[in-house]
Amino acid sequence: MAKKIKQIAIYGKGGIGKSTTTSNISAALSTMGYKVMQFGCDPKGDSTNTLRDGSYIPTVLDTLREKSKVNARDVIFEGFNGVYCVEAGGPAPGVGCAGRGIITAVQLFKQQRIFEELDLDIVIYDVLGDVVCGGFAVPVREGIAEHVFTVTSSDFMAIYAANNLFKGIHKYSKSGGALLGGVIANSVNAGYSKEIIDDFVKQTNTQVMEYVPRSVTVTQSELQGKTTIEAAPHSEQAKIYKGLAEKIGNHTDSKTPSPLEIAELREWAAKWGEHLLRLEQQNIPQDKLAVNS
Amino acid sequence: MAEKRINLNTPVVESREQRLGTIIAWDGKASDLSKESAYARGGCGGQQDGNGCRLCEARGAFTQGSVCSEQMVECQAGNVRDAVLIQHSPIGCGAGQVIYNSIYRNGLAMRNLPVESIRIICTNLQESDMVFGGVEKLRQSVQDAKERYDPKAIFISTSCATGIIGDDIDSVAAEYEEAYNIPVIPLHCEGFRSKHWSTGFDATQHGILRQIVKKNPTKQEDLVNVINLWGSDVFTPMLKELNLRVNYVIDLASVADLEQLSEAAATVGFCYTLSSYMAAALEQEFGVPEIKAPQPYGFAGTDAWIRELARVTHREELAEAYIAREHAKVKPRIEELRTQLKGIKGYVATGSAYAHGLIAVLRELGVEVNGSLVFHHDPIYDSGDPRQDSLAHLIDNYGDVPAFSVSNRQQYQFYGLLQRVNPDFILIRHNGLAPLASRLGIPAAPLGDEHIAIGYEGIVNLGEAILDVLAHKKFHQDLAAHVKLPYKKWWLEQEDPFILSKEPDVVNA
Repeated sequence: MAKKIKQIAIYGKGGIGKSTTTSNISAALSTMGYKVMQFGCDPKGDSTNTLRDGSYIPTVLDTLREKSKVNARDVIFEGFNGVYCVEAGGPAPGVGCAGRGIITAVQLFKQQRIFEELDLDIVIYDVLGDVVCGGFAVPVREGIAEHVFTVTSSDFMAIYAANNLFKGIHKYSKSGGALLGGVIANSVNAGYSKEIIDDFVKQTNTQVMEYVPRSVTVTQSELQGKTTIEAAPHSEQAKIYKGLAEKIGNHTDSKTPSPLEIAELREWAAKWGEHLLRLEQQNIPQDKLAVNS
Repeated sequence: MAEKRINLNTPVVESREQRLGTIIAWDGKASDLSKESAYARGGCGGQQDGNGCRLCEARGAFTQGSVCSEQMVECQAGNVRDAVLIQHSPIGCGAGQVIYNSIYRNGLAMRNLPVESIRIICTNLQESDMVFGGVEKLRQSVQDAKERYDPKAIFISTSCATGIIGDDIDSVAAEYEEAYNIPVIPLHCEGFRSKHWSTGFDATQHGILRQIVKKNPTKQEDLVNVINLWGSDVFTPMLKELNLRVNYVIDLASVADLEQLSEAAATVGFCYTLSSYMAAALEQEFGVPEIKAPQPYGFAGTDAWIRELARVTHREELAEAYIAREHAKVKPRIEELRTQLKGIKGYVATGSAYAHGLIAVLRELGVEVNGSLVFHHDPIYDSGDPRQDSLAHLIDNYGDVPAFSVSNRQQYQFYGLLQRVNPDFILIRHNGLAPLASRLGIPAAPLGDEHIAIGYEGIVNLGEAILDVLAHKKFHQDLAAHVKLPYKKWWLEQEDPFILSKEPDVVNA
């Protein structure tokens, strides 16, 4: 009972592959014997789909909308290999306040001491996009997650979102908030993508946890409503996810990142832009250049 | 204790409806409400999760008026004598400061304490604070509070506005708690978090339990916590008979009084609605026993309450002597009052558990009580102990109440409720509804002092207060003769005050 639950938050720009990565990490951790809960913090409520054969589960906030009193146990569903799946849910696009939704859902779970009761080893929050408001910062504040990982590609907008997240972490780090574990580099196929991300983590004083290439195995698995760990456990891609999960499972020391100021970030991006332009002029074939679209 | 019911590990209190299954609208016989509630009385079979059962709550078509949890924080945390309350909110939340200042000053005078004004600061959040976050203003206000008042503790109340934008009040509080070396306590009381204002009581108590109450108490075997509001000091003389001292909390208390909550030999209250959370938590966390007995109203309740307090504090002999003495003392006067009040009909409109007590006292006085309005109903209290089932105690000892309604201060319903039973007077504490009764020709005894009906002496006090208000009958009848109510004929002739929740379509007809 007295064991410490490892609480992790995974952030990143929308569409970058956060939920795919998170679900594969959860699935991989469960195969290593950890008791895992994946807590989706996205109003779309689809973070855990691939852990449950592509199906949607009732969200905390949908349930709260129907009745004033919610037993947190009613919104926990078991997925692949016993991973507990929870979706915070939220309002329809364009109405209400999704940030408040996250606050409400997370508080409900904390008050009912669910994590302790389920005797979990690891809780992973899969958090939508950028730290746009106070609500999305909740998982990095005091007493929720201790370690944050961010998923990013080498796209400038994804890096911008990661840098914003670093700013959020930096802000709360002084008051007992979560610290940064590192960056999960996603869709790194072209050689320069790796270089860009390596340079970014150097600038911001953090590390790359793993380089995850874009892979058709992931797409195939997702089309079956499954994680790669479940659908293609022996694939090269599954091996990469397992390696990543192992690093996260063993990870202990996170740090305060040094986010770039907005002007610095622009300057940094411009330098890379020039560099890529030069590479193009040197007649590098197009397919080697293609920034994932 | 098998299971920890109260969770003090998170800064945010769990709402009443979540913990206790609280409802704010219901209509029927008191005995039916009791049956449907969670205490071991059969009924609905209940959920077995220890959080009270799901009552069939009436759903209103609209709300005419209510109160906010944040206001309960103002009138509790704001009334701690050497502390400051900062309302982190737009200025509208500060409107309550006016009334709470008058209540605070009156309360201090009633307890012979130096009269002073309330110390509440509002951060006055504006448009740009909503967009960019308001914590810098909060920091400024905490510094101002320290500089102006040098308080022993600083409370920070949240508001709907800060709850939505997600201002990180906890971190600011932690930062200044360290810098000033005094408790700086965030109280999460956003109005939207609970449908009933009593969650605000719990929010204040939660913060005090987490950050002020001594964690390593030195027990004081003759100290009794009395959880109350600002009422006159009736507990000191009562408990003195048992060689016990009183520690009044939270209103009008000092921070030192709050610190020693964990050192007491027992905790009592005048109303379980108010004391439920704090008393149960003190028992759970610090082993301070909560007195599990009926509330101290009427002979049956007071006898049982004193005996239980005496048992817990090992003063049984003193208690029996005191009980016998008091019975003998008040009985002749009560007999006189019963003659004077013969044939009189009363109505009680107050907070939930308090009403259960007051109806008992009225029935001791021979006053007929056919109806009562409570502002909410808790199917269970935090201890979960059936000995605290104040509604069952009322019904078992004093009989049923045929027209027992739960309604959170809805004027339009109150009109119909009074028409149903046509009382000669009403007992009421909360403003807002009493003037309506007056305009119907019904005098109201405004129980500003919530302790008036406590104990044996309380039976006499209440009887005399009723005689006083009945003397105003003629004045009220004159008032009624010259008043036109704002409702349409259709509503005035409507027999069922809850028709709008049963047949919502009538509104659109």
